Amino acid sequence: MSSISRSLSHVTLAGRILIPLLFLLIVVAPILTVALAVVVGPWLVSVLSSNLGIIRFVVAITGVLLFSIPAAFIIIYMELKVIAYMNLRVGPNRVGPGGAAHSLVAGLKVLSKEDFSPANADRLVFTWAPVLVFLTAVMTFLVIPFGPGLVGQDLNIGLLYLFAVGGMAVVGLLLAGWSSFNKYSLLGGLRAAAQMVSYEIPLTLSVVGLILLAGTMSLHGIAEQQGGWFGNWFVFRQPLGALIFFIAATAEANRTPFDLTEADSEIVAGFATEYSGMRFGFLFFAEYVNVFIVSALMVTLFFGAWNSPLDINMAMLFLNDELGWNLQPIVVNLDPGGLGIGLLLLILIVPVALTVVFALPFYLTRSKLKAWQALLLGFALFNVVAVGAAFTLAFIGWDWVAGIIWFFIKSFAFVFVFVWMRGTFPRVRIDHLMGFAWKWLLPAALLNLFLTATAIVVVDALKAG
Amino acid sequence: MTTFTDPIGQHASEDDPRVMLDNQIGAFEAVPPYPPRTEREAEFYSLRDGEMFINMGPQHPSTHGVLRVVLKINGEQVVDLDPVLGYLHRGVEKLCENSDYHHIISQVDPLEYVSSLFMEWAPVMAFEKLLDVEVPRRAEFIRVLTGELLRVSSHALYQGWMALDLGGLAPILYSFIERDEIVEMLAAITGQRMLFNYFRIGGVNGDLNHEFMSRLGDWMSRAAQQHEANIGLLNENEIFVRRMRGIGRVDKDTALRMVVTGPNLRASGVPYDVRRAHPYSIYPELEFDIPVRGTGPEGGDSLDRYLLRLDEVGQSLKIIDQCLHAMPDGPIMARLPRLLRPRPGRAWAAVEAPRGLYGTYAISDGTDQPFRMKIHDPSFVNLQLVGLVMKGNLMADTMAVMASLDPVMGGIDK
Amino acid sequence: MSFIPGIGLVRGMGLTLRRFFQPKATIMWPEQHADVAPKFRGRLQLLYDEYGTLKCETCFQCAQACPIECIDMGGVDTKGRFHVHWGAPETYGERREESALRRSGRPVADKAYAPFEGIDIEPLDGILEAHDYDPREMLAILEETQAEYGYLPVAALKHISRVTGAWYAQIYGTASYYRHLRFEPPAVEAPAAGTAQIAAEASFRSALDASLGYGGGAN
Repeated sequence: MSSISRSLSHVTLAGRILIPLLFLLIVVAPILTVALAVVVGPWLVSVLSSNLGIIRFVVAITGVLLFSIPAAFIIIYMELKVIAYMNLRVGPNRVGPGGAAHSLVAGLKVLSKEDFSPANADRLVFTWAPVLVFLTAVMTFLVIPFGPGLVGQDLNIGLLYLFAVGGMAVVGLLLAGWSSFNKYSLLGGLRAAAQMVSYEIPLTLSVVGLILLAGTMSLHGIAEQQGGWFGNWFVFRQPLGALIFFIAATAEANRTPFDLTEADSEIVAGFATEYSGMRFGFLFFAEYVNVFIVSALMVTLFFGAWNSPLDINMAMLFLNDELGWNLQPIVVNLDPGGLGIGLLLLILIVPVALTVVFALPFYLTRSKLKAWQALLLGFALFNVVAVGAAFTLAFIGWDWVAGIIWFFIKSFAFVFVFVWMRGTFPRVRIDHLMGFAWKWLLPAALLNLFLTATAIVVVDALKAG
Repeated sequence: MTTFTDPIGQHASEDDPRVMLDNQIGAFEAVPPYPPRTEREAEFYSLRDGEMFINMGPQHPSTHGVLRVVLKINGEQVVDLDPVLGYLHRGVEKLCENSDYHHIISQVDPLEYVSSLFMEWAPVMAFEKLLDVEVPRRAEFIRVLTGELLRVSSHALYQGWMALDLGGLAPILYSFIERDEIVEMLAAITGQRMLFNYFRIGGVNGDLNHEFMSRLGDWMSRAAQQHEANIGLLNENEIFVRRMRGIGRVDKDTALRMVVTGPNLRASGVPYDVRRAHPYSIYPELEFDIPVRGTGPEGGDSLDRYLLRLDEVGQSLKIIDQCLHAMPDGPIMARLPRLLRPRPGRAWAAVEAPRGLYGTYAISDGTDQPFRMKIHDPSFVNLQLVGLVMKGNLMADTMAVMASLDPVMGGIDK
Repeated sequence: MSFIPGIGLVRGMGLTLRRFFQPKATIMWPEQHADVAPKFRGRLQLLYDEYGTLKCETCFQCAQACPIECIDMGGVDTKGRFHVHWGAPETYGERREESALRRSGRPVADKAYAPFEGIDIEPLDGILEAHDYDPREMLAILEETQAEYGYLPVAALKHISRVTGAWYAQIYGTASYYRHLRFEPPAVEAPAAGTAQIAAEASFRSALDASLGYGGGAN
């Protein structure tokens, strides 16, 4: 007991409050949960089952909130590492393997910093502006389909919702810039307003052609239409639209070369100049969540969403017909219950047996290796193989696992492109930026819309006639 | 709710705590606390409708050193600006007048910390003139060799800073890799990486050694190729070129009127180089061109200044090559007494530093310390251009133009 | 700029992607150390002689010569008796002295901080008065002090430093430079010249033998 009290004496005041609370939570929470489940469980189930939509919404919101932070962490780490590699540096390498926990620690640091607000700042707006920015970033997650059926809310006006909510971010940035009582912040906020409002227009117009083609504004619907071969992806039917969308989305996410709102060589850090602590963290996270959203949108709209570039079934049919092969589509039809007591044996024996089997070659070929080391290696290898096998099975058996995997591969490819651009390009000037939006992107988007509409009319006429 | 109060203007009541706070904040305002002393100040510090002051520096991410520029902006447009100097002032001329002749070499070193060998070169040449010393030929060759190496590194760094001020992240690190190689190389003969303290009155401190030569050979074999690769990153970049072309134009007459020297002058179409105009050391024996750009009617912009420095790197590589081939044997120091007491007299010596003419004017009164030492620094003169070229530009261009002029604050504030 | 818009941007991106796969220039300090030239002067270290003794004699010549007064020396004197310091102790206080000691690579010896014995400073004041408290006549002052006390007590040095305004380390440096000035009272009565000569010779001989690797006294 004395050791506990001694270690407690080193804990800060906040920790002393937190530790009993944690203890209470661990003990009381399960009891309370069980009691609640027993007492109000049946009633709750009956209520919730009649309101499935609400449950779905709450679950989706929770999932999205939980997902956005790790996504931001991964992208921050990726940005640090990729730009470092492009600069012939090593980048973060001390915390975690290869510095992987660096952004996590940076997040903790942000949490532990002083929450400072400057004199004469509008405290209320100053506090809530980052929350607004972060909120808009997270809210857009709600309509993005991560896999077939894996979408928070499949709104039939999904795209419209996305642009509407995304457009709200500018209010947050402007408020942040205005309330900081700093000229740099003010300039940054104004720049953000000008830039984001200007680029909303080509951004929205570039997608109208796609909406005409798809006939729906639901992102899930658009994604479903791009199934099959990669030729079905909208990027091949809307190349100009995809290009305009990519450029405008870069500007919307305030990424290099359009990162004028936080141009460090001109206006220090723009709207974020006076922010510190978690308020800055919100702005920071929002930026990276935005990067992910823009990449995900790019993938969803133009690069086939969750669909794999190859249609396996079609490929098999093609091979069977042309080359005379006899390939059958794999159907996973497992019934573990059918094995009976054998299942238990399988679960007991297979890991051990495989571990030993994988360990044997190491043990036999490497005389330096001790038995336990070889077994450890074998166990690691077994895990890799098992996870791989599980994934393969899931990939073949369940659409949504394959969907998620493809979706993230493609999304992070686009995140890489954004980071890559940041590592290469200098920043454009504000008048070039605005001129580019109004003189080039807007006419190009209108041209794209005109061409698409004409093509649809012509094709329909040809089909009819 | 708080009401917006202008911290510069008049306040309703003096005992309002917010007003008192404003007064405190006013201490950090761009407007000086005293009434205007000159007409220029009165004009500059009066704001018209829609204008505001903004302080760039002395602690700004992109000012070079501790330069502070008070910008008067209207939206994004710079209406007027006023550079404020003196944050790095050491009184180096007085320091030199209070230390003996050998000592001065280490005092002038930190003037231009990017290319400090040139900062030693001019005073050393001036003192050699005062003492009437013949410098051994090998020492002259070593001086030219190391100096041109440093010019390459300085221009490489310029390229990186330029890109960084335009928002590009990568080139500065490539530049620093390049500079690090050169600086390590020089450390092999001088013993230091930054403030070399290498030139001596009547020669140099150490002879070429194997370490230096092997590093130099290693670097020379890929310097040109590396230079080409680093150029490719920016020179064809549309964003970069559009931001540089036509910005910060200095025409020939302005440049001559403002006594601009060095690459900034040559980028305005004037082929003036101290190495050719007033040859010193062994430069008359070497073959190299004076690159000139911006001779056309639209010349003299930031892009010209940028490209000219890249041209100069090529010429420097040529000079280094010639120096290595023609390096004679012999002593590296003239025989001189420990304590130098030049006869009373005066001497002026100038060298072509990476930023322009760097000159020293020394007066001796027969003691072991100079009676007066005047240092002419090119950055100080070149910086005066910002007031001319910046008006009417956008705020984002302020830093770009300033970077293209390549000032180093150590030399400006002295 | 090329004719096709955007080709420069693509080429730039190609270059950064090539760099992405190239070997990195970072030196992973502290596991890996920079390849520093042998002549590099910037090493922060004190040199040792072949017997493993510090070559630095704490004479403060370097600190006095430093043009920008960046050398801040602290340490125990060569006999390991008391603490001397060059720098600005009044600005930074004890913390600075300790850190200076640590930087000079020596342990903070407790006895260095032990209070020194007091002396009767009346004769010393007379000496100083005679020299008009002029630090430029330091050698004469020190010689007369030694003549008065038989050696140079620390208290006397401190007093001289305080009164003349010369830095203690400067006085110490001056005093340690001259052989005839000593910091300790002569312990024993000086023996006759002949005996001392023989004793010195013998001790020198044994030291020489030891360093050359011969057995004790076997020549």
